[in-house]
Amino acid sequence: MASAPLTIKLRVTSWKQLAGIYKRDLTRSAIFLKSKKPPPLGTKVRINLTLPSDTLIVLAGIIHRHIPAAGLGGRGPGVDVKLNHIPQSAMWLIESALASAKSDGSKSEAVPTSTAAAERQRRAPPTHLERAEEESKLEDGEALVEAEEELISALKHELESLRKLNPFQVLNIKYDANDDQVRAAFGGLTKKYHPDRFARFQSKDARMYASEIFILIRDAYRKLGDDGARSKVLNDLRAEAQRRRADAQAKTPTPTPSRTPPPRTPSPPRTPSPQRTPPPQLANIIGAEATPEPEQSRPVNVERSKPSRSTGNYSSADALIEAGKYDEALAIYSLARRKAPNDPHVRAGIDLAEGLKALAQRDRLEAAQRFEAVLELDPTNERAARELADMRRQATTDRKGLLSRLLGKKV
Amino acid sequence: MGRIIGIDLGTTNSCVSVTDDRGQPKIIATPDGERTIPSVVAFADGKPLVGIKARRQAVTNPDNTVFGAKRLIGRKVNQEEVALFVRSSPLRIVAAPNGDAWLKVGGEGKSPQEISSLVLQRIREVAEEVLNEPITRAVVTVPAYFDEPQRQATKDAGTIAGMEIVRLLNEPTAAALAFGAHRVRKGRRLIAVFDLGGGTFDVSIMAVEDGIFEVMATHGDMALGGDDWDRRIIEQLADEIFDQHRFDVTTSPMTLGRLKEAAEQAKIALSTTEETVIRLPYLGQSATGEPIHVERTLTREQLDALTGDLAEALREPCETAMREAGVDKEDIEEVLLCGGMTRTQSVQVTVEDIFGRKPSKRANPDEVVALGAAAYAAILAGDFDDAALLDVTPRDIGIKVGESGFTTLIPRNSMLPVRTKKLFATTRDDQKFVHIEVYQGESGDIHQNRKLGHITLDRLPPGKAGTIKVELSITIDVESILNVGARELSTGKETRVRIRPTGGLSERELIAIIERRRVEEQTQTES
Repeated sequence: MASAPLTIKLRVTSWKQLAGIYKRDLTRSAIFLKSKKPPPLGTKVRINLTLPSDTLIVLAGIIHRHIPAAGLGGRGPGVDVKLNHIPQSAMWLIESALASAKSDGSKSEAVPTSTAAAERQRRAPPTHLERAEEESKLEDGEALVEAEEELISALKHELESLRKLNPFQVLNIKYDANDDQVRAAFGGLTKKYHPDRFARFQSKDARMYASEIFILIRDAYRKLGDDGARSKVLNDLRAEAQRRRADAQAKTPTPTPSRTPPPRTPSPPRTPSPQRTPPPQLANIIGAEATPEPEQSRPVNVERSKPSRSTGNYSSADALIEAGKYDEALAIYSLARRKAPNDPHVRAGIDLAEGLKALAQRDRLEAAQRFEAVLELDPTNERAARELADMRRQATTDRKGLLSRLLGKKV
Repeated sequence: MGRIIGIDLGTTNSCVSVTDDRGQPKIIATPDGERTIPSVVAFADGKPLVGIKARRQAVTNPDNTVFGAKRLIGRKVNQEEVALFVRSSPLRIVAAPNGDAWLKVGGEGKSPQEISSLVLQRIREVAEEVLNEPITRAVVTVPAYFDEPQRQATKDAGTIAGMEIVRLLNEPTAAALAFGAHRVRKGRRLIAVFDLGGGTFDVSIMAVEDGIFEVMATHGDMALGGDDWDRRIIEQLADEIFDQHRFDVTTSPMTLGRLKEAAEQAKIALSTTEETVIRLPYLGQSATGEPIHVERTLTREQLDALTGDLAEALREPCETAMREAGVDKEDIEEVLLCGGMTRTQSVQVTVEDIFGRKPSKRANPDEVVALGAAAYAAILAGDFDDAALLDVTPRDIGIKVGESGFTTLIPRNSMLPVRTKKLFATTRDDQKFVHIEVYQGESGDIHQNRKLGHITLDRLPPGKAGTIKVELSITIDVESILNVGARELSTGKETRVRIRPTGGLSERELIAIIERRRVEEQTQTES
């Protein structure tokens, strides 16, 4: 009874084009494919959607409608595929693209190159009719609904990111922050995320996610509220890192410290070896917040997720990343990759450097993807977790602003 | 959507406010120019009278006049505070079928929710008339120390009055918000809000910094208020009248009502003068048939002597609140007064003694709470963007353990929203289910606390006692709504319940009341 689904490859060459697909298709959990000889209704379809950054998103669905030549605003002939499930992370990436496209203000349309196994047709560029449709949408209530959905999606992803962070990172403060700085950080976040600030929106979901985010913020604040509490949290974080390092050494007694089993907690920070860093120097204990240090004292990326062959010490590359010299770091890693193509540290290092580079160039989609890739290779990577959380925080702020402006006009 | 008004629904008086075009909260005065509305309801020929009209006829129509419904709302007759109230109140308190304290008015039992809803309805009418637009949403203040059933009952009163209560706001928090909202100053400032109203006493310790209003601790006494001061005067007068004339004033609601009014007036007068004269001509007849006239001078000193223990009872909640906030009285920069009773000299002296500084007199204690409610409404509407309010849960939340024990899971004064998780193990081999009852209160004896709801997780996997573990999670959101979840760890099986404490009236009863009122209004307009 079960037949193998029809596999269709769909390559998107620019993220503006992706935004178009998102708006027209993915928001209604469906996708239109051009076809002159459409397969029968009910055919199962697997769509390998390749993003501009070569990331593959697999979508599964079923053909539920044949579109005649003039159908769907002149987009036909073709088939409409109802999608079963779109992975949340994929949606978020695509939504980022949409947000960027909006902020760019340019609506230049690109031509997608879709290649289906059944037919090899280029997808028709969107017509003026469709664009008019999209613009008119902004003027009626749908824009509000859409903006709320975007806000909810942004909040949801931000919550996921925040859950991977330690209390210091949740509050976005330095490890040596004082009481006033902790309170100021908490106050600022409270004004942004307190559920009361979401009471004006229709959706209960927005309030619910804001509430979940605020609980994380509040718990972090409670933990770091005073000096004594902060040192305790720091000590715990340090002890955890040490314990994991000890575990790693016990299991793989090799001189290179770059192998550990997967960590037990989601996101303890990277920590340099204790003998090098005196305990009171809190700011220098956790690599990401510290000022770039000489090569020898850099944390040697002791916590890596997958045990695999590692060829050596990349502290110089890590230091270059911290110093913002991404291309130089990439050069070192690229060399290393030739020697050890499967070293997760090298792969994570490349993704981190590429991600930061993309971020510097304001390519948020690329950056987000790279950081996610880093975290997949190395769930303890603090820099990637923090950058991703920052980006998602920004996304929430943007969307909340947009929605408020829409409401301001409406109400 | 229209504007959201802010309502201080007081024991004795109520007040309503709304923000103006510039975002400043303003009191809405009645068309007669009154800035507060007495929380008094009367029934004359079946028709309800509310506010000043009800108050004026109270003495001649005591059987059909109700005041202080707030003291009974959401309460059981068998609660200690209610019993205390029954003894000296001219109101007739009866038990509803579910044990709630109701009021007997004109031979008929009425829930306090219904009475309060009439006050809210009157407030709504005033606001609609003055603002010239329909009003459907309100922020209503409640004593910080109100428990969940009392809060829900207050919300129900709003529903009956045809308004959505978008949020309940704690009274001292409202006062602080009104007081500090537009006084932006650098740095962190600790303030104490001392709120003594007609029937309740609250004290909150708050930190205000850069638009963030953080309640650090709140405490109070749900059964201490201006009425108690009145009652002491009434009891003194009653004793004197009995000694002199062998006449028991407490047997007649009408004489008791007159005494209450005279006592309240005398108390108010003594806030500004050293002595006042209580005059009650033709109060009744003596055993010999002579008319009884009362004329008695009451001095401030005498009043203070009668009520010294009441003033002293204000101390303990303040000290507890400071202790739980982790602050010393020297840390507090300002003491804010609200509630009409804070006009009384002896109360002000006590406050000064407790906090070691003179209380601030910058705000009008009758209006500041309503102003804060309107400011909060503006925050919720998104019109007031640079402020946020961090309130706390006023009472311990916990679960029943054993036969009658209580263990706290979320201690009072926890910042909202809050979530707590706790792991429990089974106590018997192959235990089939766990049943968890959630309570609110501070007593180690479960019967003194109020049950909010329960959750059951069944079909647990088999296992020896102590080996099957269930994680309980309790979340309280900013609207004080409780969500409880239980999850068995090995199978991941879980169940979630949103706990809705009942305010006493079922949904069906609420609908019936709303329907009846609609019909009554129709017949009244037709006739």
